[in-house]
Amino acid sequence: MALELKNTSLKELAKIYDYISMCTHCGNCKYGYEWGKTANFAAMLCVQGDKYHFDSYRGSRGKAAIAKGLLSNKLQWSDAVAHVLFTCTGCGACQQMCETDIKPYILRMFEALRSEAWKQNVAIPEGIKKWSSTIGVNRNPYLEKHENRLDWLPSSIRSSLPKKAEYIYFAGCTASYRQKSVALATVKLLQKLKVDFTVSQDEWCCASPLLRTGQYDLAKEFVEHNKALPDKYGASGFITTCAGCYRTLSRDYTMDPPEGYIDKFGKMENVKVVHTIQLIEEMINKGEIEFTGSFNSTVTYHDPCHLGRHAEVYDAPRNVLKAIPGANLVEMYRNRKFSFCCGAGGGVRGGFADYSLETSAKRVREAESTGASVITSTCPFCWRNLTDAIEMTKSPLKMVDIVEILEPIVKRK
Amino acid sequence: MARGNKEIIAKLEQIVGPEYVSNEEANLIPYSWDLTWAEPRMPDYVVMPKTVTEIQRILRLANHQKIPVIPYVNATNIGGLCVPEEGGIIMDLKRMDQIIKIDPETCYAIIEPGVSHAQLSAALKATNPQWEGFEFSKGFEFGWGVHPASASVLAMAINHGIGHLNGRIGINSQLLSSMEVVLPTAEVVKLGSCAYSDSWHSFLPLPRMDGLFTGWMGTTGIVTKLGIWIFPIRPYRDVLTIAAASAKDITKYMVHWRHYSLCDEVTAVSWWLAQIPITFPYKEKPKDAPEFFSYTVISGWSEEELEYKRKMWKKVVQEEKARGTQLIDFEYPEEAKRGRTELPSRIVGSTKNYSKSCGGGLAWPGTFAPCKSWPILYEKWKEIYIRHGLSPATRFTDYQGAHYGMLRCMTPFDKRNPESVKAARNAMVECVRAGIPLGMLPYKPPVEYMNELNAAADAGYVYLMTKIKDMLDPNNIMNPGKLGIR
Repeated sequence: MALELKNTSLKELAKIYDYISMCTHCGNCKYGYEWGKTANFAAMLCVQGDKYHFDSYRGSRGKAAIAKGLLSNKLQWSDAVAHVLFTCTGCGACQQMCETDIKPYILRMFEALRSEAWKQNVAIPEGIKKWSSTIGVNRNPYLEKHENRLDWLPSSIRSSLPKKAEYIYFAGCTASYRQKSVALATVKLLQKLKVDFTVSQDEWCCASPLLRTGQYDLAKEFVEHNKALPDKYGASGFITTCAGCYRTLSRDYTMDPPEGYIDKFGKMENVKVVHTIQLIEEMINKGEIEFTGSFNSTVTYHDPCHLGRHAEVYDAPRNVLKAIPGANLVEMYRNRKFSFCCGAGGGVRGGFADYSLETSAKRVREAESTGASVITSTCPFCWRNLTDAIEMTKSPLKMVDIVEILEPIVKRK
Repeated sequence: MARGNKEIIAKLEQIVGPEYVSNEEANLIPYSWDLTWAEPRMPDYVVMPKTVTEIQRILRLANHQKIPVIPYVNATNIGGLCVPEEGGIIMDLKRMDQIIKIDPETCYAIIEPGVSHAQLSAALKATNPQWEGFEFSKGFEFGWGVHPASASVLAMAINHGIGHLNGRIGINSQLLSSMEVVLPTAEVVKLGSCAYSDSWHSFLPLPRMDGLFTGWMGTTGIVTKLGIWIFPIRPYRDVLTIAAASAKDITKYMVHWRHYSLCDEVTAVSWWLAQIPITFPYKEKPKDAPEFFSYTVISGWSEEELEYKRKMWKKVVQEEKARGTQLIDFEYPEEAKRGRTELPSRIVGSTKNYSKSCGGGLAWPGTFAPCKSWPILYEKWKEIYIRHGLSPATRFTDYQGAHYGMLRCMTPFDKRNPESVKAARNAMVECVRAGIPLGMLPYKPPVEYMNELNAAADAGYVYLMTKIKDMLDPNNIMNPGKLGIR
């Protein structure tokens, strides 16, 4: 039996077939596991497999089988293929578990598969099609008007911001249009901490939703637009509060494939990308932050996939939480590289709202089991999905972003 | 694209619910092949039952409609066992994933087919051996193999999988204590002590009817619950290593060392298997490199016990060297040693060591053979492999019992290339053919190996096997085509 490359018309897939073929079908990707002197972990990590059960949905092995099937003409495109492809949140748990040479290419393969799906006559989720049809005009996937993007920013703060600064605070679409409290808390926090930053008057979506759903052609102008912002503001870096924006700006804009997309969009040169939590941790370490109050709660931290597995930022949020007076950090069983996705990513929240919320409810129940009263994170998109699940399940948990915890109780030394 | 027919789908949906049935090719294709060179075959349906009653109803339907049923959990058997030779229903048992009981006093566990190595090992490590509340030590273990941690413990055990304790207590199918089976004709039967009480501790002293369901590759029924013996984790372990100039030398050392029954495992790997990844295509071994490397795992309840075993091992090595056996002092890297004592392991259990950069194919002639035959067969296999452009990445492991054990050759190949697939298959079938007259028997055998076995078998054996199969599965619905007899 051979899986020969026969369908070269699937260009995005065909060019990485050498890597796709490295999937041996071993199934390591289907379950989270590690055992050793310092680790003892066993749990299901694949949110898609947890919901849809069949091997096609479970880990990367099923999607690799679909890719191989399509490339070898053993499988034809169908709505069922699209369903498998678009119900994956791209959380990266399968990539974390994989030990073969396909590993670095797994997420790129998912996105390449989706990119090919757009060219076929198959059922792309309506929710995704809807925002995709307007994002070129609105510059955000929330069907909101672009001119309202800065509505979250009070005019008093807006007028106080410099025209040129070291950093641009890149709020991202979710914090700009939905979790405005996170964007506002971030700006207030950065001002309190006397960080040299400004807010762009013309920020566009970072293109994460486009890249994650395989819409490369649409993504191009977004990447090019945002790449030009630092020059415009004399800035040498971006600060984000969104894990998705962080992943996209720091990886997709700057790295070679398979980690990034500079093969398609060119490289963003000499621009530093930091997540707020990294900046705060650094300032705490330098002794530049003074706590003026406390946060007397037991807190559990949810690792956003785009900051955790995708960017390997695990310690910074925990170190910051541990530094907050009164905060008692407790971990969920599935944490750090073995975290369980909130269910929102990869276009799933827009495409499959019920499944996305169901997944989030699983995470909320896990957070409850720690005895925490607060669940915190570093991503407004996770914030939204977890909050919706908290409301749906009538959970006693309260969702708060770390910047919202910090903002009222810190000042610059 | 959908396969099968709507009537069957509707009936399966009635049994397990619509979300656990599919006939969409997108969902079927991952079930159509495995790691090996087995020819892909599309199933027509996949169904995921949760209960024994659902399995019974699916089997009644399958008998009525004469549809093949292939039991499946993870398909990591490296033998094409779950590839549906004649299409039909893949019965994916992952949802039956309960560890029903761990009895820390009588030292057995009862598991469902979907229980993974990851799940069971975590649960056993958290359970302490005890009697009437007094805990003797920390944690239990089973025979953990070097497969992905997502693999099914039950499927591995009933198909004669091996584990890390095979030198001390035997292969995993020797550690079964009771079972519940749904017969192909849908009756539920219990075998062993559980047929008489709630205790799942032993098959003995009853007739060993569990043999009707072990090693049959899912062709005689569906094992829905399995009792397995579990073993206290010994707190002290060490890995002792050595190399040898030839297969003959390493075999002499291994049988001598295992003679004392002091190790959990003794294994040797050829130079090609010691490479990470295995060289593909074939590359010549450097002239000054040893032909074989061997590790043995010893364990104990105290450092003194371990020290005694070390002394005995050194004595064996000295005696062998004294009589001219060409052993070469060799220390494994720490990471490699850790890989032998921290099983199951995602790293060791992955296909990382075997498949890197070669197009994703992995298969083996995996066999049990008398140790006496190992060196002879190794030389034959080596010639066959090199002729086909493959590396003879061979492993010997001595099992508890008579001096016999595993002889296998992990074989990466390029699935993108039909010639590579053909070469791998031809080489392996040739190896099996060469080995059978020397006592070698393939385990978890692909159809091609079964054909070789049947051709060489005692006629009475094949007659009885056929008769048993016909009796248990009159419509030949259970994983048909795998035994090469129907």
